[in-house]
Amino acid sequence: MAETRDPVLQIEDLSVAYVTNTGLVHAVSDVNLTVHRGEIVGLVGESGSGKSTMAYTIMRLLRGDAVVTKGRVRVLGQDVYALSEKELRAFRWSKMSMVFQSAMSALNPVMTVETQIVDTILAHRPDLSRQAARERAKELLDLVRIDQKHLQSYPHELSGGMRQRVVIAIAIALNPALVIMDEPTTALDVVVQRSILDEIRRIQEQVGFAILFVSHDFSLVAELASRVAIMYAGRIVELTPSHLLKLSERHHPYTEGLLKAIPQLTADEVTIQGIGGYPPDLQDLPPGCAFHPRCPYAMDVCKRVRPSQVLAGEKVLECHLFNEAEVNAHV
Amino acid sequence: MSEAKATLEATALVDVRDLVVRFPVGRGRFIRPVDHVSFSLQPGEVLALVGESGSGKSTIGKALVRMIEPSAGEIWVAGRDVAHIRGRELKAYRKDAQMVFQDPFGSLNPTRTIEQHLAFPVRKYRRDGQGRVSDLIDELLAKVGLTPVSETRRKYPHELSGGQRQRVAIARALAVNPKFIVADEPISMLDVSIRAGILKLMNELREEMSIAFLYITHDLASARYIGNRIMVLYGGKVMETAPSAELIRHPVHPYTRLLFAATPGTRHQGPLPETSNRPPNLLEGRVGCPFADRCPLVADVCRSQEPPLVEVAPGHYAACHHPG
Repeated sequence: MAETRDPVLQIEDLSVAYVTNTGLVHAVSDVNLTVHRGEIVGLVGESGSGKSTMAYTIMRLLRGDAVVTKGRVRVLGQDVYALSEKELRAFRWSKMSMVFQSAMSALNPVMTVETQIVDTILAHRPDLSRQAARERAKELLDLVRIDQKHLQSYPHELSGGMRQRVVIAIAIALNPALVIMDEPTTALDVVVQRSILDEIRRIQEQVGFAILFVSHDFSLVAELASRVAIMYAGRIVELTPSHLLKLSERHHPYTEGLLKAIPQLTADEVTIQGIGGYPPDLQDLPPGCAFHPRCPYAMDVCKRVRPSQVLAGEKVLECHLFNEAEVNAHV
Repeated sequence: MSEAKATLEATALVDVRDLVVRFPVGRGRFIRPVDHVSFSLQPGEVLALVGESGSGKSTIGKALVRMIEPSAGEIWVAGRDVAHIRGRELKAYRKDAQMVFQDPFGSLNPTRTIEQHLAFPVRKYRRDGQGRVSDLIDELLAKVGLTPVSETRRKYPHELSGGQRQRVAIARALAVNPKFIVADEPISMLDVSIRAGILKLMNELREEMSIAFLYITHDLASARYIGNRIMVLYGGKVMETAPSAELIRHPVHPYTRLLFAATPGTRHQGPLPETSNRPPNLLEGRVGCPFADRCPLVADVCRSQEPPLVEVAPGHYAACHHPG
């Protein structure tokens, strides 16, 4: 299905913090992001960047010690945090669903594939009959191209790739408008990973849901998504169309660093360059721009003032190198 | 064997010949995760083993450092066969051969400081006085870039990031002054921005200390970056091996080409060049090419005869009946 400008997910000025005995630790800060119907948006970051917290916040699956301190999450226009528990149960899975990283732990080892799909359907749609849910389970296996004989299989009888297909089938069981995928292929071999991604793309085109694809793997996301949000220390530091994710374009220094850090298989150039230093401690973020201690272009202002969002052509950036005047001069 | 090749192997640091590892799987049957694999390693050379789970790459690494004993074959290191050594000899071999594991969270003891992690191997294998131990620890930490060293020494693993922990693991491997290190997916659990630093560190150790590496990975791109040679494994057999640049420019084996197509960033279009995604059959007594079930070029001969590893270009070997 073609992508439209119709928003499915709207994240507005969102901040999420974990409550610790030393106070609030912000894992997500001031995030704005919109995903449109039928669109695939990538969310990339390293450990501690806040990408998984974002995913869990959207699903309202945050652990007890995490709180939304600011902002809103709307899915299909509905504020996810304004729903009652009961409404949330019906909303989750029928409007938005999630694919978790580890297919083995997302599936119950002592239940057959059919039971897991049917139970999921009935848990969120108690109005459906078991028979209807069974029919749907068959359709879903066809959709993810697994032989129907595996309805009676247990997870351990399936390969890693097949298990992840089952998890995807469960995620799209109730035709949600938005599927959040949290590192769905990270634990898989490279060939299996590729075939699952192809599968995701094919099903997505056929069914038309939107995907927020969370990953640490930059090159993979750039291939799959139409837009990519790059997170660092809880903030989206760059939001860019994926076709602009190349070194010949101007980027946030962190994005540029990531692009230089990945060895390319087919490029003539084999040199790589890591980003100096280590990801920051969220409990003790550097003042100003959190990236400044690792940034090769850091200026005085970067150490004092946190950069605000700047629109630069098709991109949104948070970096002092891109102040309004300069950007306009470039456009 | 040609005379030139014989001389080359005589000077090799590591020379693995026809390595076989078999495990019982019940009812008198065995699997062979490693099936007649041979390779050599020169001082300061990096050989990258590339393959998916079940390819045998990690088992080869474990056999090489003798965490497991091979079922057959020879492992010549610095002129002696270590394949079946035991006891004191095996302990002495640990000074030559070290290993760095994938998970820097699981490979360090959470109740010990970094200093304690390094003091143990330094004392055990270097037998110097106390002052010397302390200097050596500083030296090791500086070498792997964990400065300021006085601060790092006092820290516990949980106070370090994944990249820093992996550097500690490398420092610990270096503590015994090894001739080579088996690095089993050392960067796959690390953040992207940190990976390049670890690869570069390995490169420095290779250049400055002539340490050889067996770099085990599923990622062709990093194999190309760090490896002098790449060896592609499937189902316990070598499918293709060549100097890195040659392998990347002219992959001839259908499995290598499949790996290429699947690697993110190569912008491969269209379906993957495979006919199924069945995992390889590792059972002993398997007939034919292990990749035949998935190979788009499969012919009758592939199912009846195992293709031998033959030289297709200078230094470039492939085991395929129909190399492209």
